[in-house]
Amino acid sequence: MNGPIRRVAVGVFVCLSLLLAGVTWYQVVRADELRADPRNPRPALSEQGKERGLIVTVDGTVLARSVEDPDDPRSFVREYPEGGVFAHVVGYSSFNLGNNGLESTFSADLRSRRDLTISDLVAAILGRDLRPRSLELTLHTALQRAALEALGANRGAVVALDPRTGAVLAAVSSPSFDPETLLGDDAAAQWETLLTDPGQPTRDRGTRELYAPGSTFKTVVAAAALDTGAASAGSTFDDPVEFQLPGSDATVSNANGRACNDGETTTLLQAFVRSCNTIFADLAIQLGAVDIGITAEALGFNQDIDYVSPVPPAVWNTAELAQDAAALGQSGIGERDVRVTPLHMAMIAAAVANDGVALDPFVVRRIFDTDGQTLEETEISESGRAMTSETADILTQMMERVVTEGTGSQAAVPGVRVAGKTGTSTGAGGFSNPWFIGFAPVDDPSIALAVFIEGSEISGESASGGSVAAPIASRLIELWLSS
Amino acid sequence: MSRTSEGLTIVAASLLAAFGVALVNFANGGSVDAQTGLTFLVFVLAFGTLYTSVRVFAPRATPLLIPPVVALVALGFFEIYRLDPVRAGLQRWWMLIGSAVASLVLFLLSRGATSVLRLYRNLILIVTIGLLLLPNLPSDWAFPLKGLEVNGSRLWIVIDLGLTRMQFQPAELAKLGIVIYFAAYLADHQKALREAHRRIGPIRLPEPRQLIPLLLVWGGSIFILVWQRDLGASLLLFAGFVLLLYAATGATGYLVAGGMMTLTGAAAAASLFDHVQRRIVAWVAPFEHYQDEGYQIAQGLFALGTGSLSGAGPGLGRPDLIPNASTDFIFAAIGEEIGFAGTVAILAIFALVVSVGLGISFRSRDTFRKLLAAGLTFVMAVQVFLIIGGVLRIVPLTGITLPFMSYGGSALVGNLVLVALLLRISHEEAA
Repeated sequence: MNGPIRRVAVGVFVCLSLLLAGVTWYQVVRADELRADPRNPRPALSEQGKERGLIVTVDGTVLARSVEDPDDPRSFVREYPEGGVFAHVVGYSSFNLGNNGLESTFSADLRSRRDLTISDLVAAILGRDLRPRSLELTLHTALQRAALEALGANRGAVVALDPRTGAVLAAVSSPSFDPETLLGDDAAAQWETLLTDPGQPTRDRGTRELYAPGSTFKTVVAAAALDTGAASAGSTFDDPVEFQLPGSDATVSNANGRACNDGETTTLLQAFVRSCNTIFADLAIQLGAVDIGITAEALGFNQDIDYVSPVPPAVWNTAELAQDAAALGQSGIGERDVRVTPLHMAMIAAAVANDGVALDPFVVRRIFDTDGQTLEETEISESGRAMTSETADILTQMMERVVTEGTGSQAAVPGVRVAGKTGTSTGAGGFSNPWFIGFAPVDDPSIALAVFIEGSEISGESASGGSVAAPIASRLIELWLSS
Repeated sequence: MSRTSEGLTIVAASLLAAFGVALVNFANGGSVDAQTGLTFLVFVLAFGTLYTSVRVFAPRATPLLIPPVVALVALGFFEIYRLDPVRAGLQRWWMLIGSAVASLVLFLLSRGATSVLRLYRNLILIVTIGLLLLPNLPSDWAFPLKGLEVNGSRLWIVIDLGLTRMQFQPAELAKLGIVIYFAAYLADHQKALREAHRRIGPIRLPEPRQLIPLLLVWGGSIFILVWQRDLGASLLLFAGFVLLLYAATGATGYLVAGGMMTLTGAAAAASLFDHVQRRIVAWVAPFEHYQDEGYQIAQGLFALGTGSLSGAGPGLGRPDLIPNASTDFIFAAIGEEIGFAGTVAILAIFALVVSVGLGISFRSRDTFRKLLAAGLTFVMAVQVFLIIGGVLRIVPLTGITLPFMSYGGSALVGNLVLVALLLRISHEEAA
């Protein structure tokens, strides 16, 4: 009788081998295919409901936190108590839409690291903390809130930096959106609503969008002129009503349609303070695309800037402009194909304030654990000297004159020496884009900023950087220095 | 393996269960807690009781059977706990009840040996048939014993005493009764069944009269399939009987006839019954019918694939997405969380349990005990193959529990009694 039993036993073991083959087939051979199948919700679900770390401002305001889901104590939901004020920096962590902003860049730190891998297990036994890590940002709550409030109903952005460190003090884009609306089951529909909103609230105008800098770019051209010795503040220029672009029928004229000074001669200082396009188009052509390009690139043009995620590189096309004097003249006043983010213009103001040394911007001050112990701290990082110390000094004086007696007078703050430069570039559809960049106080700068308004529908003098953007800068500088 | 190391291995397997519970807690932000300690204590208490009963009532039984069984229960338990802590709490009670019942069986058999079972085979058959019929009781009458229909199948009985309601799947115990009866019947009629056959050419065919028991059992299987809609139990009953018939007689003709009857029955069932058709559709093309019939199998395969080599980690996968994860699909759920490493280990442990069971049968001199040990092992092995093979799309899904691992009280009690019977045979044959 053992014979037949043995034969059945062989059959049983053949069947067990079949099971082994089946398991190998699905868990080894076809595992990646099954995991990646679009109908398999597991990869996306593995992040959902997990506890994530805090995101707080330098003054302790909570921007993002995980709280226990009232419906399911084993699960967490993400909350953004400040709503839209920090939305473009902090981003969101949404099951349906994925991660965005700092929630994406620092996802590896913010997420719970309790995966129960062998190394996690060893770490847990050794008493290491596997709970999610938290971020402390350099942003200041009051300044951030004031910046968004100052932009009001305008589309635009404000970016403020500490020129001594590169720390971002405020970064807002208006209009904003409430990230909490993107967390629920209706996230896709909410996202669609945001995309069709004419205000385009999902776009981060401060750090992700490139715009023509207009006359604020004259700081770069002036720095190049001073650095190369091609001109000094007192250098004189012919003062025409219109500047004829070489090899072209087009002319460049000033905002008020008149000559810069008396129609005879003017100085670089006067041209800068009054923001004369005629003189700067002329100066740009005299300097050449290469020399301006050297200063522009020392200030970070044509390069990736790492801030939360890579910032689109600012555009100064040296090779093309070296071949085309007319385009160079227009580029010298920040028009044509020159493109830059508001963050980048704030960095340029900060470099002037910091004695000509450009610093890398950063918004995460430190990463800390649940006990508040610092795990990683961001160190100040110089990207290099962008202009000589003397150039920075002279440019500072020129920028101060812009505020005391020139186009930026509305940026003035009583009792504070403010330096700045206005700009009004031509935006999409012929609308003007008012700009203001600047820093304060002049003798010991603690804030550098860029204010940008997109597509102001009022045209003419009332929609210039001096009348729209400069007052916002004034309010923010006053708030910053009074706190 | 000595009795002492057997005991130590049981404690180690209990630690494994507690460790699994702790890992699941840890994954959900908890830590070592009362559940962890309680799990360890219940395992030690339940299987310590069984171990002690073996030492007292069947001291010469093999020490190789309980440790792998406890390991399987432990691996199943942490996954049940992960899927549903409430069910895990109930399962702990069933563990205690199961080992108590198994110990009671060991005690009773120590009074009169397994031959008592052979003696009372007709009584056992009547009780078994009664058990099988219980789920067909009306579900809405006043009597506290009611049948219950779940997912279109009538497998459950409810003992409804107003305040407490207990559910039980009598087929899990009936399975043992049937194997005992078959073993006894075949031990009695072995000679006749082996010798009475006709030759048609090279094939030996059983005498038509000797096919009557086969036909009766086949009829019973069809009954279960049609009136209770329990595909798994139906197949298990018939396959177990055919294999035992072959083991007793060595006549290949029974295998051929049984195989053909299975296929005929399956083909007829597939063309007649919706619930069988749906299973076949899900088996052939689960991903093409992802939205309906194939959903469960597809989710099971996603779980296994996502688990891959090392698994997501206890408590960190999403096996809760699989319908019936803690019962029919416990294997896929475990595969998602402890990976290929875990599933291979489980198959290896089952292979060990089957080897030990067949070893007991091989070493048996008494025909009844030999057939009983073989039959119990076959039924368990077929059950393992049907359910894991169903999850892995090797055979259509039949919807039965994975022995020792699935959530379910009746199944655990039934399988622990099965282990007790094997241990008792092992003891008697070593005497």
